[in-house]
Amino acid sequence: MKFTTIYLLLLASIGLASAADIESGKKLIAERNCAACHGADYFTSIAPTYPRLAGQHEDYLYYALRSYQVETNANYGRKNAVMGSQAKGLTDPQIRNIAAYLASLPGPLVVKK
Amino acid sequence: MNKLSATKPFSPKPLNPFMLLLGGIFFAYMSLSSAAQAQDLKGSAEAGKAKVWLCTGCHSIPDYRADYPLVYHVPKIGGQNSAYIASALQAYKKGERKHPTMRAISASLSDQDMVDIGEYYAAQNSSSPMNSLK
Repeated sequence: MKFTTIYLLLLASIGLASAADIESGKKLIAERNCAACHGADYFTSIAPTYPRLAGQHEDYLYYALRSYQVETNANYGRKNAVMGSQAKGLTDPQIRNIAAYLASLPGPLVVKK
Repeated sequence: MNKLSATKPFSPKPLNPFMLLLGGIFFAYMSLSSAAQAQDLKGSAEAGKAKVWLCTGCHSIPDYRADYPLVYHVPKIGGQNSAYIASALQAYKKGERKHPTMRAISASLSDQDMVDIGEYYAAQNSSSPMNSLK
């Protein structure tokens, strides 16, 4: 009995720990003023050279933000003045939350031939 | 000391401020016009149709994941901003973005190819037709 309770608690906590928090991603992205470039809906960006983010794959958004943190990594690095300074101030869970929020938004992105 | 400065074995002429200004204008013009040239390239979705064959192997397969050991969904690029696609490809070509596969592919593309590919993907939406060449 005791074992089952502890086992269930442990299982539940694994789920809680890894689940990204969409609401705190939303709050964080507002604080960081990402909409100033990427648009209030995160797909009407203010310049066509900035990407549309709404509805993009969550794991790709996480990877892209991380890549600006490791800009010289030979496999994953990305160097960009603006995104570099934005991404370097974020913790790993914060990036996961932002990615989860953006991926949850409706957007025009499609996968087609 | 006085004697030395009086003889002045080497005295360059002071730079003519007018010539300096002219030179400045010339360089400003050159750099502006070359930047403008890259931006002035007009992409064509129709031309892009024949140039995306290297992209489709990853970016056109729903749920496709890549990049062991990280493994994530490759980005959706249909409906993306065309100028962003072109500038991302340029960043791979210049090495500002390191992803090895994307670097290799972008190295084979011209500036014109990049803007054509950008227009091709930007024109995609949920009801657009599939590529007739693929």
